[in-house]
Amino acid sequence: MANIDFGIDLGTTNSGIGKFQNGKVNVYKNPVGFRETLPSVVAYRNGRILIGDKAREFTKIQPGQVFSSFKRKMGSDYIYNTPLNEQKTAIDFSTLILKELLNFVGEEKPKAAVITIPASFDTIQSNATKTAGHNAGLSEVALLQEPIAACLAYANTQSAEVTEDKKWLVYDFGGGTFDVALVNISDRDLRVIDHEGNNFLGGVDIDQLMVEHLLCPQLEQLFNESGLWKKMVNGENSDYNKLFVELAYKAEEAKKELSINETTYVEVDFNGNFAEIEIKREQFNKLIQPKVEETIKLTKLLLEKNNIQNVQIDRIILVGGTTYIPYIRTSLASSFNCYVDSTIDPTTAIIVGASYFAGTRMLNETTAIDVQQPTTQTEHLKDVKLVYEINSQDPEELLTGLVPNEFSGYYRITRSDGGFDTGIMPFHSRFNEFLRLLPKSINYFNVKIFDKQQQVVFEKDRLAINHGIYNISGQPLPNDICIEVDDTLGTTFLERVFKKNEILPLSKKIYKTISKTILKGTDDKLIINIVEGNAATSPASNLGIGYLEINAADLAVNLLKGTDIEINFGISESRDLTIGIFIDSINLEKQEVFNASSRKVSIEKMRKELENVLGNIDAEIEEFSYNENDQIVDRLNAIRIEIIELLRELIEIEDDVVTDKIFNIDERKRKVFQQFDQLVRGKNILSEIEEYQAYKQEIKEELLLRPNPKIDRTFSNVIKNEQLFLNSGQLSIIRSKTKELKRLARELYYQNDEAYIPLFYDYAHLDLNEYDNHSHVKMLITKGEQAIEKRNFQELKAVISGLYNQLKVKPKDYLEDQNGTLGLR
Amino acid sequence: MKNIINQIFEIETKLGTENGQNVKRNFERLYYEIEQEGYRIVNPIGQRYDERDVSVEANFLSENHQNKISKVIKPVIYHQIDGEYTLVQKAVVIVE
Repeated sequence: MANIDFGIDLGTTNSGIGKFQNGKVNVYKNPVGFRETLPSVVAYRNGRILIGDKAREFTKIQPGQVFSSFKRKMGSDYIYNTPLNEQKTAIDFSTLILKELLNFVGEEKPKAAVITIPASFDTIQSNATKTAGHNAGLSEVALLQEPIAACLAYANTQSAEVTEDKKWLVYDFGGGTFDVALVNISDRDLRVIDHEGNNFLGGVDIDQLMVEHLLCPQLEQLFNESGLWKKMVNGENSDYNKLFVELAYKAEEAKKELSINETTYVEVDFNGNFAEIEIKREQFNKLIQPKVEETIKLTKLLLEKNNIQNVQIDRIILVGGTTYIPYIRTSLASSFNCYVDSTIDPTTAIIVGASYFAGTRMLNETTAIDVQQPTTQTEHLKDVKLVYEINSQDPEELLTGLVPNEFSGYYRITRSDGGFDTGIMPFHSRFNEFLRLLPKSINYFNVKIFDKQQQVVFEKDRLAINHGIYNISGQPLPNDICIEVDDTLGTTFLERVFKKNEILPLSKKIYKTISKTILKGTDDKLIINIVEGNAATSPASNLGIGYLEINAADLAVNLLKGTDIEINFGISESRDLTIGIFIDSINLEKQEVFNASSRKVSIEKMRKELENVLGNIDAEIEEFSYNENDQIVDRLNAIRIEIIELLRELIEIEDDVVTDKIFNIDERKRKVFQQFDQLVRGKNILSEIEEYQAYKQEIKEELLLRPNPKIDRTFSNVIKNEQLFLNSGQLSIIRSKTKELKRLARELYYQNDEAYIPLFYDYAHLDLNEYDNHSHVKMLITKGEQAIEKRNFQELKAVISGLYNQLKVKPKDYLEDQNGTLGLR
Repeated sequence: MKNIINQIFEIETKLGTENGQNVKRNFERLYYEIEQEGYRIVNPIGQRYDERDVSVEANFLSENHQNKISKVIKPVIYHQIDGEYTLVQKAVVIVE
């Protein structure tokens, strides 16, 4: 048989819901705003019914339209008149709060729940709470007294075993009310012996006390003001009103801070004056002392009434957010001389306790059958039409709902990110709602329609509206737009700035670093080259659409390697490209607009690219000839001839600033590079991936034999997102990764002392003329040989280091990161 | 990260528009890096108050038809997980 499992704290100020699952309690979060507690407040505004946080916002400015603390009127015949000309009772408002809490649960619709009630509730009030539960759609409601729930929460969380009768005090100091209950706890049952309380004593009062007595006196001195408190609360001057709201907020933050630290600071900025006020926990304690005293007095009264001595109290358990204050805990401990238990979150203790209780209570038979049936209530309403645009560029998008057959009821729309909620809105047959959209993302909405009794009769989840991602009216980009950047191998690759099919206009800001030091006054330069084409191909085979040079000759100071550079890109609807660069450290700013008619091509860059491919093509021809692939060799030879021809033509047009021959050469260069790419790229990528996999395997095996946590971590980092870069088709990226693996393999190799022996012989077998001091080198070699014989590897390493220092030309580390050619990484 | 964002936002607000000009780019850069980590920060300053916007926690000074957000003490923070945004902090604002 199934259990009730759901526990609800239906509080005067705040409420919440939890579920007992697998021996633990899960406290649900509000899908709107993601908080665990819901203010027990209902408000009416602009025809909407708002529940919770949003409703509470209007407490001060529209008190006639906000309904709170209705729990105090539970079971009475008190009638509330709403702005929608309805008459409501405390049961009706409690029903709304309960329905809202049941919404927290999500897909699963609870059919039964345990609802907590104050210890002071009589039979009529208790029955009224049950009625609210049934009205909210629960078939079965079990009630539980709040102090008992709190005891269950503490007892279950600590798995405390109770073998004899004990008395616990439940000290509940919340945001607006104070309650204390004396509970008898035994191995058989939990029983509230008696209780005391004050309905108008809570944490909110403390914030205002802080503003009035801790902040105001100091601010008056610092800002040369008088009667500041009165000015802030009389509502005559908006600047002072604003200051009050801000100070109340900061006081609340400071209060929380003082629960952790001994001192906190409140910063105030008022009419151009700035002040920083220090608040010590000692001052704060003194301030709240009378309030705490009042609660202690009530607790003592409770004990006296029941002839209970302090020694008879086993522990005091804490409930309510205000009990986070350390002074309260220490005051209780010293006043009653007993253990103060603060081991669980006091704000959700009642929910947790109610859920534990629910986890042990069996469902009655009819509810159990009901729970097993799939819910059909949301399918009641057929033929609902929802009309809206899937794509939008506007901050809000209209949704129209059409329900046939003269339907009257309510609707409510929420956004899945938790930032939008229409509240409950009455309508007849049709509704229109402008949905607020979170820019540049897919917005998911949940639409619910309720009947007149506010039961759900239709639900549409995951209604998606794209904001700014696709614009049906704009033109899509035909190709990727990429920036050419240096890799660590001395070559370059393309990094995508805008993706093919993105809709114009587009803009983006990216940050890069300078990959080589550019000394002022030299003929070096920083190159920013933007191309249109395919990001997975070689940079030079794509169409250059923007080219910017920063010449060292124009620099006022040196541009150092590692400096940050900000690059702004913009492409208009007519495909004009704007590149703006900014280098903060040297305060350099430059912007240029490029369009097809004013295309810029650098002769020098083109020459380098041609020469570079010419170098590579010879090696490729040799390799294909070796493999007797004559057809490809012929085609490569044709490409080779074309490249030589292009190089010759480039020399010819060096001084030509009139004709557009350069563009012709650029066009042919791209074509020939694309052909070259097609012939060799696939093969090269494949062999690069093979090499990568071989090194990966080698390192894996080595790490198994000789584990090294540091190298293991670096290795995991290198191979992270492996599928992404191996499938990128970008040779340069795969090569860089292989290089990182090679470095790791080398580090692993030299973990083993034996590896230094062949290294020593490499140095020892070099021609003596490669060293400076021949006799010293001879002496080192002898020492090295002796060290090998004695297996003294420390000595051997010192000898190798000595030999290295004697070398006239130091060997280059072929795995070292290369300086960039463009200057951008 | 939420606390770091709030500190950055507070520093930016303290500097104000006049003093903040020479560090504007630094703030842009900070926000860019934060966005790369999947966070979305929204400063609702100047927006008209909307009771449906549950991403802000409003403190009213007065009620009129043109209620606007005149001060933002904390910004709205969303965090993207698996491609979907979730509200992780409501803005704390003053409306007048």
